[in-house]
Amino acid sequence: MEEKKIKVECFRYCPETDDAPYYVTYEIPLAGRMSVLDCLNYIRENLDPGLTYFINCRKGFCARCALEVDGKKVLGCTCEVKGDIKVKPIREDKVIKDLWCKNI
Amino acid sequence: MPRAEEYVDRVVETDLLVVGSEGAGAQVAIEAANRGVRPLVITKGAIGRTGASQCAGADFNVDGISAKELGFSGDDRDSQERFFSDIIHEGLFLNNQKMVEKYVEYAPKSTKNLLDWGMRVYYYASVHSEEIARGLTSSGKRWVNALRKKFKSMKLPIIEDTMVVDLLVSSGRIAGAVALDFRSGEIILIKAKAVVLATGGFQMAYPFNSATYDLTGDGQAMAARIGVPLIGMEMVQFIPTTILWPPMERGSIITYIFTELDTRVRLLNSLGQRFMSRYDPKMLEKSTKEIVSIASELEVMAGRGTPHGGVYFSMKYLGEEELERMKNGIIGLTKSLGETRYEFKTLLPRLIEFMKKEDIEVSNACHFMVGGIKVNELTETEIPGLYAAGECSGGLWGANRVAAACTQVGVQGLIAGKISPEFIKRVDQEEITPGDVKKIVERIEGPFKREKGMKVEELRRYIHDISGKRLGVIRDGKGIKEAIDMLKEAVEEVPKLYVSDKRSRKLNREWIGCLEMENMLTCLYATAIASSVRKEGRGAFYRSDFVLTNHDNFLKNTIVRVKQGKFEVGFEPIVTTTLPLPKGKMTFEEAVGVATASLVREDANKGV
Ligand SMILES: Cc1cc2nc3c(=O)[nH]c(=O)nc-3n(C[C@H](O)[C@H](O)[C@H](O)COP(=O)(O)OP(=O)(O)OC[C@H]3O[C@@H](n4cnc5c(N)ncnc54)[C@H](O)[C@@H]3O)c2cc1C
Repeated sequence: MEEKKIKVECFRYCPETDDAPYYVTYEIPLAGRMSVLDCLNYIRENLDPGLTYFINCRKGFCARCALEVDGKKVLGCTCEVKGDIKVKPIREDKVIKDLWCKNI
Repeated sequence: MPRAEEYVDRVVETDLLVVGSEGAGAQVAIEAANRGVRPLVITKGAIGRTGASQCAGADFNVDGISAKELGFSGDDRDSQERFFSDIIHEGLFLNNQKMVEKYVEYAPKSTKNLLDWGMRVYYYASVHSEEIARGLTSSGKRWVNALRKKFKSMKLPIIEDTMVVDLLVSSGRIAGAVALDFRSGEIILIKAKAVVLATGGFQMAYPFNSATYDLTGDGQAMAARIGVPLIGMEMVQFIPTTILWPPMERGSIITYIFTELDTRVRLLNSLGQRFMSRYDPKMLEKSTKEIVSIASELEVMAGRGTPHGGVYFSMKYLGEEELERMKNGIIGLTKSLGETRYEFKTLLPRLIEFMKKEDIEVSNACHFMVGGIKVNELTETEIPGLYAAGECSGGLWGANRVAAACTQVGVQGLIAGKISPEFIKRVDQEEITPGDVKKIVERIEGPFKREKGMKVEELRRYIHDISGKRLGVIRDGKGIKEAIDMLKEAVEEVPKLYVSDKRSRKLNREWIGCLEMENMLTCLYATAIASSVRKEGRGAFYRSDFVLTNHDNFLKNTIVRVKQGKFEVGFEPIVTTTLPLPKGKMTFEEAVGVATASLVREDANKGV
């Protein structure tokens, strides 16, 4: 079976070391139905261990993995990915690191 | 020598430190505060939004008579003695009977607290097909929301997104703990007269599990590091028919819950055979959790598994029309119940739609830790001032759990919250040894300071391979021995772990992962050596090389201790009160019969 690849464009920003936010694009395989969180996990586990985002229950209970995906506010765990996506923090002005904000 | 305070970024003082904020932890803090002690809760997540409790079904148990007193229909045939006896049969006699007595005694009080604090209940029924109805069904979300509301209304102090890393002991007594604040990256020294561990399980040490990312056995490992024994660590409960594939639904037990609501689900192997007919021709898919787990595992081992190593959960045979009806029925039901959980409201209807065309791959997920920190019926450990409540503790369930863990954690939370203030009022804050703090801080900072070495992700894959293949549903002597050897090698790698992303100490997952890794390894190692000495099958524990349940040789609890960094495993006698222990040997099937005698087991072939 031919594996479908998608591009995940990810907001990155560490206020202590970066002057300004920037984006990194990762190419990952889309294997079966995957959520935004599955994509971020893939990146962290295989490509970039430093990518920072919130994860806990994976099933919509904790509701702390709120993100902005392609301009829409979603929960990373319940939002299905079908093609290329752009992932941003839920509040850019509240970022502690990458996709993890204060007060989520 | 510098003072202890100089090794850390921040110092906080409290009477009672509660580690973990959920079913057990929140209840401890509330009860202790009611008794005039100021608690401080530290949790790796945010209260009400972390740990297993939020995900629970969730059911709460009370005996049929007390249920009536709480205003539910109840059951006159029941008694606390009968409930006690059922739990011990389900645990195949390994239970600490004093702890079971407390469970039964405190269950009504603990449940009443939750009802008083606003936890709404869907219905009162027999939840796990017990002959006697003893279950109040609510939801994990309703439960933790009620606890959080009560906790907040009392304005109790809490530090969130913070991991307690190690406990401090002076002159043989608890003196405090050291923690890492994720958001600021600061190391905190906590001075406390007593500590209650309410940290939950270590499901994350298994590659396929039903729980949350924060459950890495920190409480069990912290206790072990200061010499507190762990009990029954070989007893890991797996839950069958959990979604294995696709990734988006992986780890959801909604399929398992569904099998309890609708009995028309069929389990198929890759040849399309309804394999349960070979293992339990009478009960088929409605057999016990253990038998369904073992049967599915055996199918996979025989090469009849699905592409991702599970079995198929199938309803295609019902036809599209019937599945459409089923789907609409569920949508209607969730609406009328005011159900807001994603798994029920959105996921389940979507899965049924999907199942018109395709089967779902399911497997056995690591679900609940039957063993844990050794405590007595008052939640006391061997170290004065240290208590453990909830899933991180062991001893209550013996070899298996059928009754509610939700009730366990409430009951033990209540007891710890009642007992620890008595201790706190008698003692002064112990002096903290600066050298101990220095050592812990060095251990915490090690991975962050190292410039090269091994990435934690690499070690995670390695230990998941060990636990997934050798410490799962079916074990044997050879696999257990391999697991022990491989885990020893993994432990050697721990001092080499390093954080590759050094942008900031704040929210550094890799760094946190290194600290959690050490704890998961401790728990898995304890599981492996405890498994090696239990040469029989019992309850949640199944060995293909020793299938008999051997009362003559193994009616005793495994105990794992860490002494000067070395693990020791041995046995201790079971704590009994009124129920005598049986003799002889039983086949695994006979033992399952004993464990399920209190359940109604209808013939699955009837009317199907
Ligand atoms: C999907 C699922 C469904 C379930 N359904 C049911 C059910 O229907 N009925 C039933 O009876 N049982 C059920 N259970 C089991 C039951 O939910 C749990 O056993 C119970 O909720 C555990 O409560 P707890 O308070 O002991 O631990 P948890 O709720 O797991 O909480 C532990 C807390 O400790 C924190 N913590 C851990 N380590 C540290 C540390 N180092 N520092 C600070 N904080 C820390 C964690 O972040 C977490 O907040 C289910 C479990 C799961 C996973």
